Amino acid sequence: MNILERIVENINYLGGAALFLIGLHTVVTHTNLIKKIIGINIMGTGVFLFFIAIGNIEGGTPPIWLEGMENPIFVNPVPSALILTGIVVSVSVTVYLLSLVIRIFQTYGTIDQKELAEIMEQEVPHD
Amino acid sequence: MTFTSPTSKPKQHLIITPSSARTTTLVFIALLFLLVFVGAVENWFGIIDKLNANTQLQASLWSFAHADVLLMIVLFLPVVGGFAQLAFGMRAVKWRDRMVMGATFINLALSLLIYPNAIDGGIHLEFPQALGLGLSFTLDMLGYTMVLITNIVWLFVMIFTHVYMGAEKRSTRFYFFMAITYTTVLGAVMAGDLFTMYLFFEIMTVASYLLVVHYQQEDSNRAATTYIFMGLVGGFLILIAMMLLYFEVGDLQFESALGALNQLGAVRYWIIGLLIFGFGVKAGMVPVHIWLPKAHPVAPTPASALLSGIIIKVGAYGILRVATSYYFPNSNIEPDAVWLTIENVGFLVIWAGIITMSVGVFMALQQSHIKRMLAYHSVSQMGYIITGVGIAMYLGDHGAVGYAGAVYHIVNHALFKSLLFLVAGVVYHHTHESDMYKLGGLWKKLPVTTFVALIAALGISGIPLFNGFISKSILHHGIVEAVHEGSWIFTLAEWIFIAVSAGTVASFIKLMYYVFFKKTTETYAQIGFEWDGMNAAMIALAGLIAVIGLAPNFIMNRFLLPQIRSMNFDPHFVEEVLSQLNYFQGSDLLTMLMVVALGTGIFLVGKKFNLFHLHLPRWLSVEYLIVFPWYMLMYRSCKLIDRKRHPLDPDTEKMISTDQSNPTGFLERFQITVNRFNDRYEKPFIQNDALIYVGLIVIILIFAIIRLI
Amino acid sequence: MISQLPIINLVALLLMAIMVPFIKKISFRATLWLGGILLIGVLVSSVFIFIHVANVGDIIYHFGDYESFLGIEFKVDPFASLFTLFVGTLAFIIYVYSSGDKTEGIESPEFSRYYVLYFLMLFAMFGILYSNDLFNTYVFIEIISLTSCAIISIKRKKEPYPAAFRYVLLNEIGSLSFLFGIAMLYMISGHLNIDLLANTIQSGWTTLPINIIFAIVFMTVGLSLKAAIFPFHIWLPDAHASAPSTSSAILSAVVVKIYILVLIKLILKVFGVELFASLGMDTVLLIFGGAGMIMGSIFAMTQKDLKRMLGYSSVSQIGYIVVGLALMSDLGLRSAFFHIISHGLTKAALFLSVGIVIYLKKSRSVKGFEGLGFQIPIAMTVFGIAAFSMIGIPLTSGFIAKWNLGIAVESASQYIFLGVIVISSLLNAMYYLPILFAAFLKDNPEHQEKVSIEKIPAAMLLPIVVLGLSILLIGIYPNLLMQLIDLVIARL
Repeated sequence: MNILERIVENINYLGGAALFLIGLHTVVTHTNLIKKIIGINIMGTGVFLFFIAIGNIEGGTPPIWLEGMENPIFVNPVPSALILTGIVVSVSVTVYLLSLVIRIFQTYGTIDQKELAEIMEQEVPHD
Repeated sequence: MTFTSPTSKPKQHLIITPSSARTTTLVFIALLFLLVFVGAVENWFGIIDKLNANTQLQASLWSFAHADVLLMIVLFLPVVGGFAQLAFGMRAVKWRDRMVMGATFINLALSLLIYPNAIDGGIHLEFPQALGLGLSFTLDMLGYTMVLITNIVWLFVMIFTHVYMGAEKRSTRFYFFMAITYTTVLGAVMAGDLFTMYLFFEIMTVASYLLVVHYQQEDSNRAATTYIFMGLVGGFLILIAMMLLYFEVGDLQFESALGALNQLGAVRYWIIGLLIFGFGVKAGMVPVHIWLPKAHPVAPTPASALLSGIIIKVGAYGILRVATSYYFPNSNIEPDAVWLTIENVGFLVIWAGIITMSVGVFMALQQSHIKRMLAYHSVSQMGYIITGVGIAMYLGDHGAVGYAGAVYHIVNHALFKSLLFLVAGVVYHHTHESDMYKLGGLWKKLPVTTFVALIAALGISGIPLFNGFISKSILHHGIVEAVHEGSWIFTLAEWIFIAVSAGTVASFIKLMYYVFFKKTTETYAQIGFEWDGMNAAMIALAGLIAVIGLAPNFIMNRFLLPQIRSMNFDPHFVEEVLSQLNYFQGSDLLTMLMVVALGTGIFLVGKKFNLFHLHLPRWLSVEYLIVFPWYMLMYRSCKLIDRKRHPLDPDTEKMISTDQSNPTGFLERFQITVNRFNDRYEKPFIQNDALIYVGLIVIILIFAIIRLI
Repeated sequence: MISQLPIINLVALLLMAIMVPFIKKISFRATLWLGGILLIGVLVSSVFIFIHVANVGDIIYHFGDYESFLGIEFKVDPFASLFTLFVGTLAFIIYVYSSGDKTEGIESPEFSRYYVLYFLMLFAMFGILYSNDLFNTYVFIEIISLTSCAIISIKRKKEPYPAAFRYVLLNEIGSLSFLFGIAMLYMISGHLNIDLLANTIQSGWTTLPINIIFAIVFMTVGLSLKAAIFPFHIWLPDAHASAPSTSSAILSAVVVKIYILVLIKLILKVFGVELFASLGMDTVLLIFGGAGMIMGSIFAMTQKDLKRMLGYSSVSQIGYIVVGLALMSDLGLRSAFFHIISHGLTKAALFLSVGIVIYLKKSRSVKGFEGLGFQIPIAMTVFGIAAFSMIGIPLTSGFIAKWNLGIAVESASQYIFLGVIVISSLLNAMYYLPILFAAFLKDNPEHQEKVSIEKIPAAMLLPIVVLGLSILLIGIYPNLLMQLIDLVIARL
């Protein structure tokens, strides 16, 4: 029971780590470039979730000061603020990757990594 | 190569053109300077006393000769001259050549002036901060001897070059890199610490590469590639040793480091071993000599003369310098036990020298190409020098005899080997033939060349009254000393020494006979005798050979003994044995007689039974023994990964096959092999973007956690 | 006033990046001139900052006057100011070159975009060095990743796209690992400020060691991935080969080094050397570095594309830096810093002189150098100097770098690395020397008779001459640089 309790206590962290691993698995195993991008995004989400989970305090309220509060317990706002930046970065990376995939599709006619590698190997003549 | 030989016009006797008159005068003045120098040093006619009487003149001359800046002028004049001729050379060939010869001549004159300064305890100059560690230059008598012989040989070779390279292409480049090599040689022998020496040594390798590759033919490219890579390997070995030494001792000045070195275990042997091999590559020590017989035949004659005469000596000088400085005790330490390290090393070095000399002479006997034969003789003669160095180490405080022999032989070999290469060059210049079996009867056409070749051959064979005899008998004394004081096993070394000397005699009888004296149907009608700078330069060198042979004590007393006295050799031994050495005593002459008889015998037997055309099976050559296993390994490993997806195409297979006649070089084979492995393993490995990341992060995590637990 | 200079530098670079598209509408030449003047200004101010920091003390700057545990803090110490100087110098040199080389694959509408990316990248690099805040570092790292990938794919050709894709993908994995490490550190300490983190890391080690292990491993591997330390190098050759030559120069000479500098900052300032070494990470880095030194050279030897070869050569040289770092001693760090600067100059010289070859011949093949030494003598001479520096011939900075590394390796009793250094140098010689031989010692089959000196824009020649001379200068008087490095290490 003890183990189960600890899992439940740390479910946020474990979820973050699990997402990270799922994303990594997607990146490594899938040859479709779009899927790789999705994998990267899942990885990113995992890390973000992990970060936010750090800031969470059991029974805390959003860090907004209201009239009449007495000794309020606030959730740590810093991680959330940081992750906002992180999400922006992640979005821009995704956009850039997707635009590259479009270019790759336009020039090579495929978005599968294996096919891409074969095409490239044929195009580069062996001396 | 296009020769527009000036001698192709109908033969006219003894025409002296203004140009050859000028060069002859220059040679004459240089010899005159040397004569005055000898006179001043020996105090003929009380010349020094008279000078001393005139105090004002004496003082000003004295201060001029003692100016340390002279050293730097001698060091950098060649390279300045090199840049100047680079600027001029494009416009006026005449002025370029004059500039080169003039600079070399001034350098010789200035270096003669340094003598009083060098003998008064040497010069020491430092440039702190340069290259991080600071450079320093020290000129003691050992360094000065090297500087002087370098300058003398260089001047005469340069005068020779002026005529010889006159018709060649790209001679401005040749002169330029010649000048850089000149400076680096001087820098290496003047160096006051290993770091400075390494600096010049490494640049010398690169600069002399350009000399070897000069003709840019297929064979010279191949030989030069071998040369530079072996040179670089040697340089890197020295670098490792230098790093070890610097770290363990904290200082690279050429002075005793035994106090620190004796604290170390095996590292002290590593250091000296690496140094010996590193310098040994340049010195042509067996088994790392293989570049030498390749590079000499393909280089232009002046380059091979200097390569053999001077540049390989720098390697021997390096061994001598490091061994007798770092590994020799300070005089205030009790002897015996402290000599142990260097004695152990010396034992091996003597044998390295013996093996080098015997392999060299054995290979030389088999050659038909004149320059290749001379190159193998360089290997063999370097064996003598290395043996001398080994004796200097092995005998400890009695090693002075080996030391003197080694340095003396450096001087002598510089003279006669450069002269022999010049002779080979003249023969090629006139006949365009380098195979000695196809030549003959040249003595009628080239009497001066024949004469100087004879003197050089007598010198290298060690015939009494010529210089080779002197240094060889000193070395012989050294080996006898080693038998007395060390192990009986050196009796064997003595026998080999005598046999090798006999082989040398045989080899040079063969050279003289086939090239100059053999009867032949060829008339060489196109050769007409003409006096030019080449003849003057060669006669000057031949004269020096004879003079040293007749008056051996001058170099011994004025150059070698001052150096030896300043070192930590047993003074008793030096005064009683070395300075009393009688070169023309009965036993030595008798030994020499035996050697000559044996050598003649070898020649006659070899000629009769055609033994000189007997080539060793290919697998016995040293190069083949070292390299072949690698070829085999590469070929096998390429075959091993020959799979359906990565087939070995027939062209490549032909390139790396271990066929006897396959000319592919080591480097190419290596690259092909690496390429195969790269194709096979790297390409698929690259495809897996993030897999490496996943794998390694897991491994590192596990590793770190294990470390934690 | 001087304490505001770092921020003014940053803002100026950022503003320039934003302004380029607008000024370009007026005149493209004006943009170039303005950028150049701005870079000179940044360079001069970096010099002033360095002098100030060395003599007076660190500059600490709080954004918006928040306390350091809340807000972003900039801390300009000798380390940051020396390396911003290095980045600024090389960036200026490469900028001048790029203004001359208008052909290499970039089409004219893209010129201004190229400079936008260039200034943004510079902005981020300065930011990373100044920043004393881990999350801020992460953001700057992401900016560098994006801009450097974009600077590769700016060519309208086929090959750069897959290369850039792989580069972004792996860089993003690296960044996320780094962020994951930051999360782990934040979990135990609640701080992102480097100084404050360093204070709490010891207590964190006793309570939650597993967090710190994860942080160290993930951050090290993440940065290794971005810095192309040996087994993680796979993206580098493709990316550097297909980029325009100026981009390759700045990527190989500077950008890759920035990540190593971040790693050094982390190890020395956050984790501390003992903690890092107690996990055996120094051994890991030593193995990576040593393997990289040799494997990078071996891979380089087999390349037929000159720029791929230079890319692999960078991998091998990064190995030298990593070995110096992994020794975890002052001597090792000295050698690493020296090598960073030396290799920066050398590799920039190589890529830029190869850029001139490409400008002339429109081909990147290793073959076909015959007789080039007489067509473009200056470029090939600089290439030669840089190649000698890579091999480690004395009088060049590469020799001093090797010498320092050798001494450092011995002081840590890792004698085997002496052999590794020598083998790697020899392998370097094996692939650089044949090119030089071909350039200077073989005749061009096309122009047998007359070989004329080609005309190259002065804006391209001047930078490489400066680079060649500085390699020699540092090679002859390394103490000029060594004093600065010693100062940095003393104050780190």
